[in-house]
Amino acid sequence: MDKKELKENLKKHIVKYVNILDYKPEQIPDTMPLFGPQGLGLDSIDTLEISVMLQREYGVKLTDPAEARRVLVNIETVAYYIISTKSPVEK
Amino acid sequence: MYITALKTISPQPTYDESFFEGNHIVHSGNKYRVTEPDYTGIINPGLLRRMGKSIRIGIGAGIPLIRNRKDIDAIIIASSEGGQEESIKFLNQILDYNEGPLTPTNFIQSNPNALAGTLALMSQNNCYNITHVHKGNAFECSLTDASLLIEEGKAKTILVGNVEEISDYNFNIEVLAGKYKEKETSSENLLLSGTPGTVCGEGSCMFILEASSKDYFARIGGIEQITFPTEEELHDLVRNMLAKNNLNPTDIDAIILGYNGDSRTDFWYNNLSRRIFPGQPVNTYKNLVGEFPSSIAFAVYLGAWVISGKGSRVTGITLPGKPIRNLLIYNHYYGEQHGLILMST
Amino acid sequence: MKVFITGFGCISPIGINFPENLKSLQSEKDGLGKSHFLNSLYASKKYFGEVKVDTPQLQKELLFENVEGLTRTDLLAFTAFREAVKNAGLTHDEISSADTAFISASTVGGMCNTDDIYKDANFKSTSNEFVNSYPYSRHTLRIVSLYGLKGFTDTINTACSSSSNALMMGMRLIQSGRIKRAIVGGAESLAKFTVNGFNSLQILAEDKCKPFDCSRDGLNLGEGAAYLVMEAEDVCSGKEHWGRITGSGNSNDAFHTSTLSDNATGVIKCMQLALSDAHISAGQVNYINAHGTGTQNNDQVELTGFSSIFPVIPPFSSTKSYTGHTLAASGAIEAVFCLLSMKYNELYPSLNVANPLEGCGSSLVRKYTTGIEVNYIMSNAYGFGGNCTSLIFSKY
Repeated sequence: MDKKELKENLKKHIVKYVNILDYKPEQIPDTMPLFGPQGLGLDSIDTLEISVMLQREYGVKLTDPAEARRVLVNIETVAYYIISTKSPVEK
Repeated sequence: MYITALKTISPQPTYDESFFEGNHIVHSGNKYRVTEPDYTGIINPGLLRRMGKSIRIGIGAGIPLIRNRKDIDAIIIASSEGGQEESIKFLNQILDYNEGPLTPTNFIQSNPNALAGTLALMSQNNCYNITHVHKGNAFECSLTDASLLIEEGKAKTILVGNVEEISDYNFNIEVLAGKYKEKETSSENLLLSGTPGTVCGEGSCMFILEASSKDYFARIGGIEQITFPTEEELHDLVRNMLAKNNLNPTDIDAIILGYNGDSRTDFWYNNLSRRIFPGQPVNTYKNLVGEFPSSIAFAVYLGAWVISGKGSRVTGITLPGKPIRNLLIYNHYYGEQHGLILMST
Repeated sequence: MKVFITGFGCISPIGINFPENLKSLQSEKDGLGKSHFLNSLYASKKYFGEVKVDTPQLQKELLFENVEGLTRTDLLAFTAFREAVKNAGLTHDEISSADTAFISASTVGGMCNTDDIYKDANFKSTSNEFVNSYPYSRHTLRIVSLYGLKGFTDTINTACSSSSNALMMGMRLIQSGRIKRAIVGGAESLAKFTVNGFNSLQILAEDKCKPFDCSRDGLNLGEGAAYLVMEAEDVCSGKEHWGRITGSGNSNDAFHTSTLSDNATGVIKCMQLALSDAHISAGQVNYINAHGTGTQNNDQVELTGFSSIFPVIPPFSSTKSYTGHTLAASGAIEAVFCLLSMKYNELYPSLNVANPLEGCGSSLVRKYTTGIEVNYIMSNAYGFGGNCTSLIFSKY
């Protein structure tokens, strides 16, 4: 899966797992903040939801809260994390 | 205490109140579901995305009553089982993913206190907050709690309400327990079916109760409950309740009974009305909204409209052709828990 | 109207009756360990406060061997209820009198039979003995039926503060003059449902919980039941009692569904309300039985609350380091511990504390302490949904 495809896929999963009602997957810009009022407005519970999603859908574990804060910034950063975790060569 | 405002989401067109202009919905089958309103302007999408049905309808009925007021001293909710659908979703996750990583939202939302908590959160209310889950008497317990707060001088204005939802979870389990009808009925003949079992309902009724008021729908004059009584004990309780309020049975202008069409347990209503209120027209409500543990809240909702004189065209309610000063509601849940609520002008 | 506590019963991870609980508290012996009876992947991975008797044995000891559909929650409730009414010396007539209320609490109810519900709810079974056993209120109604209770009955579920609210409700009903007696408390059993719920929130500790320690990493789930008998002054004069319940405060933090606000809004408010309801000042409190779950969030916020209310924080501890977090039963179990503390003028410590949180000072009780006058105790409980409750017990 190329990065673009991965990001589209990721948006669909996020919308599904945290049940976002006011954005369709294709309406979410890659750099839109996931947290806070300027972005999707997600919170700490969503961090747990997205961690489970990453594990179930991509086989990627994200358990350290500090690392989760660094990774779950926007679609771009999450996609980068998935790619770099799954294929260490690309790091 | 006085009912000064009320809002209900039920299997009838109560949210827009066209139900009180003669509009009503005929249900068939074993599930009488609510029609959910459009929540735009009541719940923002960021919050709505987390809410299961019971929380949505509880918020939909409750928030319009409290969002513009700063004087709510308590939030008291009756809900036998809370977010059943959320429970089963989480349960299914546990088993389907073999206790692997699970998403927590269903778990948090499944606890019955999630509605009272969300009402407090959305209205930024730090006051008294509690959830009674005592099955068929949960709403009576909530009203008693409210009356205590008022007597203690700890509250003047209280939000009291109920919520129950039909979920596959409770419905399937209750089918196994033999609670529902085997043959299809409609809401028009449910109470005449003469067969075992009833139909499942849902809804949320929210009330603002105030310690004193000049402009109100109705006054709640008495609340009683008893569990596993004999018929004698129940009838004594009714007589004592009336006596406590200096009333004779003939002073009761209307009665609302919890008939649900279950041939095994409707005798409680037959015998009570025959022995204590002979000749009184009998009004019912479960043919409108189905059976569920805190359903008596819907009878209180109907009673408030009837007493206020605003509900003269309520479907199924037979009125004596004179103003109603005192109204008694009697309901039981599967013959185990029995509740009485006296409402007056 | 003064409300006295004339008896109680308690089954917890540190004992099957209150004398056993007392012995464990005094000898600093916790009841935490791997689970022997829980049907879950985590049974051998996490630490739990498990009652050390299996379900068939509980049923046998209650002489209910032939009764169908009883869950572990029901059996824990029955065990504590039986001890409570015996300890208070209630006659059958007193128990079934219309003047006696019964108020219980549970957050799991019959959902402790997680696998049975899964099958029934998904129609993967044809009826079983438990179909009527799942509701939160079922254990209450079973007790009502068995003992022929005719008065006010109630079941409360405000998550982890549930049985504290049951105590509050009982006290207020007696104070109002509606009733003369209330049997109040709660019951909770370990369940695959709850274990996975708390695990999904990532707040289960890896080891034994360490309330108020800097390196605390979460809570241990526990189970148990406790009931207390409350009586109005005019029906228990001359009767031996354990102390009085004199105040309650109930608030909502209105911040988040599963965490408390950093500024401790709800926590502070319920403590203030309880003190004023009991007509005492903060300085009169001799001991606080903290909610103290051992999560990062709870302990820090609770301590923030203490420093805002108390000019000098009185001795405090979390007995969840003995029992784990028994959820809806915790308020009632900890009320029993408070009354034991008051009766014997001694304090039970927070175990497993190596580095106390900054701000605890010497107030955090870390050793079993005797010979201290304990006249007023505050007991705290906070639950998901922002529910906060504080209770005040006094000796005289």
